[in-house]
Amino acid sequence: MRRKRQSGPIEAIDNGLFEIRLTADERATLLGFVDQLEEVMLAPPDDPRLRRLFPTAYHDNAEFDAEYQNYMRDELAQSRAASIQTVREVLGVEDPLTESQLYAFMTVLNSLRLVLGTLLDVDEVDDLDLIPEDSPAYGQAQLYEYLGWLLEWTVSALSGE
Amino acid sequence: MTQVADPDLKELTDEVADHDRPWIVLVWNDPINLMSYVSFVFQKLFGYSKEKADELMLDVHEKGRAVVSNGPREKAEIDVFRLHEHGLWATMQQDT
Repeated sequence: MRRKRQSGPIEAIDNGLFEIRLTADERATLLGFVDQLEEVMLAPPDDPRLRRLFPTAYHDNAEFDAEYQNYMRDELAQSRAASIQTVREVLGVEDPLTESQLYAFMTVLNSLRLVLGTLLDVDEVDDLDLIPEDSPAYGQAQLYEYLGWLLEWTVSALSGE
Repeated sequence: MTQVADPDLKELTDEVADHDRPWIVLVWNDPINLMSYVSFVFQKLFGYSKEKADELMLDVHEKGRAVVSNGPREKAEIDVFRLHEHGLWATMQQDT
């Protein structure tokens, strides 16, 4: 017997399209964080928040890496900016998403988690449960968990699960 | 058969051999990326089956890193770029 699948925030609907079922508040909150991500991306290259977004390519050859970063870093920033723009468009309306739009949504959620996780200095996810409610990091940790939850659903929808 | 000792030629041959050695693309473990996400990205970028992608993802998770692709330098750079686009911690190096 098949049990009916629990309904989540991201669902595949007909014609290869997807639906994001988030409240207006959740959409607005996410859009706010997307704006912040865009700002972070404009920070100087040595900003620690960017460490995970622009990693080293050649870890044993500084010369090759400098060369690589020289011609790839801008391209990576442009690719991220394009995904951010897509997310802004899809969160601003309640229309169904195409697979590639949802894919962009997925990569932006992941970028947000990378920045937040770096700020929180995540070593083991379990540590986050130990952050006291009155700590300034508490809100960030809550958001980090929320983004993880949303990302799991996005991956599962795109995997056809 | 005699061999002409020609240092220039030797250097050149070494360089060619060095150039021909394949490059490997490594993905390193990190505490942030979700396991399901990492496996999904491997499937999407390299066309791996879910089984193969899960296996590589678990290697990354348990052994700290895994080789996810290999080939000439130009191809390895493209793979690294695409992995970086997806927020994965990828590096490349010449196979030893």
